[in-house]
Amino acid sequence: MRLILRAWRRNAYLYRRIMGQNLRAALEYQSDFLLSVGSAMLTQVLGLVFLGVVFSRIPTINGWGFWQIVFIYASIFLTEGFASLFFEGTWRIGYFVNHGELDRILLRPLSPAVQLLSSAIGMNGIGNLLVGGVMIGESLTHVHMVWTPGKILFSVILLLSGIVIRTSINFASNCSAFWVKNAGNAVPFMVHSISEFAKYPLTIYAPALQALVGIVVPYAFIGYVPAGYVFSTSGMAWIAVLCPLVALYCAAVAGLILRTGLRQYESTGN
Amino acid sequence: MKAKYLSLASRSMQNSLAYRVSFIVNMSASVFYILAMFFLWRAIYAHRTSLAGYSWNDMKAYLLVSFLSSTMLSWYSESRMSSRILDGSVAMELLKPIDFQAARLAETAGTTVFEGGVSAVLVTIVLIVYAGVMTPHSPAAWIAFILSFAVSVLIKFGVVYISSLFCFWTSSGFGVAWARAAITNLLSGALIPLAFFPPWLRATAYFLPFQGIVNAPASIYLGQATGAAVWGTLLVQVFWCVVLWFLGRFVWRFAVRKVTIFGG
Repeated sequence: MRLILRAWRRNAYLYRRIMGQNLRAALEYQSDFLLSVGSAMLTQVLGLVFLGVVFSRIPTINGWGFWQIVFIYASIFLTEGFASLFFEGTWRIGYFVNHGELDRILLRPLSPAVQLLSSAIGMNGIGNLLVGGVMIGESLTHVHMVWTPGKILFSVILLLSGIVIRTSINFASNCSAFWVKNAGNAVPFMVHSISEFAKYPLTIYAPALQALVGIVVPYAFIGYVPAGYVFSTSGMAWIAVLCPLVALYCAAVAGLILRTGLRQYESTGN
Repeated sequence: MKAKYLSLASRSMQNSLAYRVSFIVNMSASVFYILAMFFLWRAIYAHRTSLAGYSWNDMKAYLLVSFLSSTMLSWYSESRMSSRILDGSVAMELLKPIDFQAARLAETAGTTVFEGGVSAVLVTIVLIVYAGVMTPHSPAAWIAFILSFAVSVLIKFGVVYISSLFCFWTSSGFGVAWARAAITNLLSGALIPLAFFPPWLRATAYFLPFQGIVNAPASIYLGQATGAAVWGTLLVQVFWCVVLWFLGRFVWRFAVRKVTIFGG
């Protein structure tokens, strides 16, 4: 037990150090940094303008009000922000595999998952975190609700679960590079675009799409299900209990896919 | 003179044919996006017949045009333009006896022929399977729509070309492309018809080139513009197309002075 704990602490320490280096490197290019943060914020704010324009003409969509949908919408961006800022490395797995760079990683005495996850930093994540955080904060103040310490604690757990789900899905889909040996592997991008559906209440979709976003690629547990809990939507609060479980499940599947991929990885031929 | 640009265009088309699977999979992002929008609007129209002058049938047709437009001149063409500047191969381009802007247009045209073909097939399937979507009222309206749509791709090229020139000042293509996409999507009407905007924003949008990308062809498709208004719409589009072309040349003249190339 103590050994496992020590390994985790070492991983966390090295993670911090590697990310610190990444951050320093990224800050060298100041205009890039500002541009990517700015463009991420712009994308989100304009998405909000879209919702605002729609809701200026109608009161609710399927019983969901403006600020409640803003909450769902912002959750998708907020978790995306965490995933980009801290785990942008997931998007480089394909590069490592296709260029044989994974060999280097496998030779080092540090978990490949930690090395892959920390291999890059996405500064645009800061923009998503900022706007996403403000939007969620605003939505919570505009809807009347009663906060108890338990509810606050569980909401934090829901946020953490959302980040784990988001990162695990990114990680798992990028691991497809072990099988799709093609520089333009489109699987991760395609899976990522499915999160488009998770920006709005699940009930608006046809059953097949609900199953896709709720079960197959469970993005619904990032924004929609937590929103049901936070706003105490009737009949939905209990589903939120599943969020941490879904997060564990996603992380386990991602780990399994990585291990399976590594087992049959045969490097490039040079 | 023209032969070299034609061969660039055909090369680029063959290239996209060679990578057709990743092309079509990349299109999935547009498909998912438009599906999400479809269900969102369906839920909105469940309790009302008209919003900002759009019926549910109008909105379905609008989404179709918006989808068509989003599949044209996709990410692939955009990143190819900016990566030439970012990786320094623009220096080699400067040595060649071709015009940089015209060469990019030729490449984009080649890819767009392929993209257009795939989207045309998709849209035909949608129109057949989902018979509820309306089509332009007359053959003349069809022709006007196709013309307007073709010009809209040229306007989009103008916007994308100018925005990729900004890569001379920055070394990240993503930030530029994201900001470009965010602004274009809102002001072209790709996110939501301009009629839904508050008056001041609508007036601003009509004054800018972006509305020529989705709003103009959609208004012809939906029959909102008829008779002389069709000609007016087309003229405004052509106007912007020309203005953007020369604006692109102007920006290029400043941008190209920024060329810095790593040794080796």
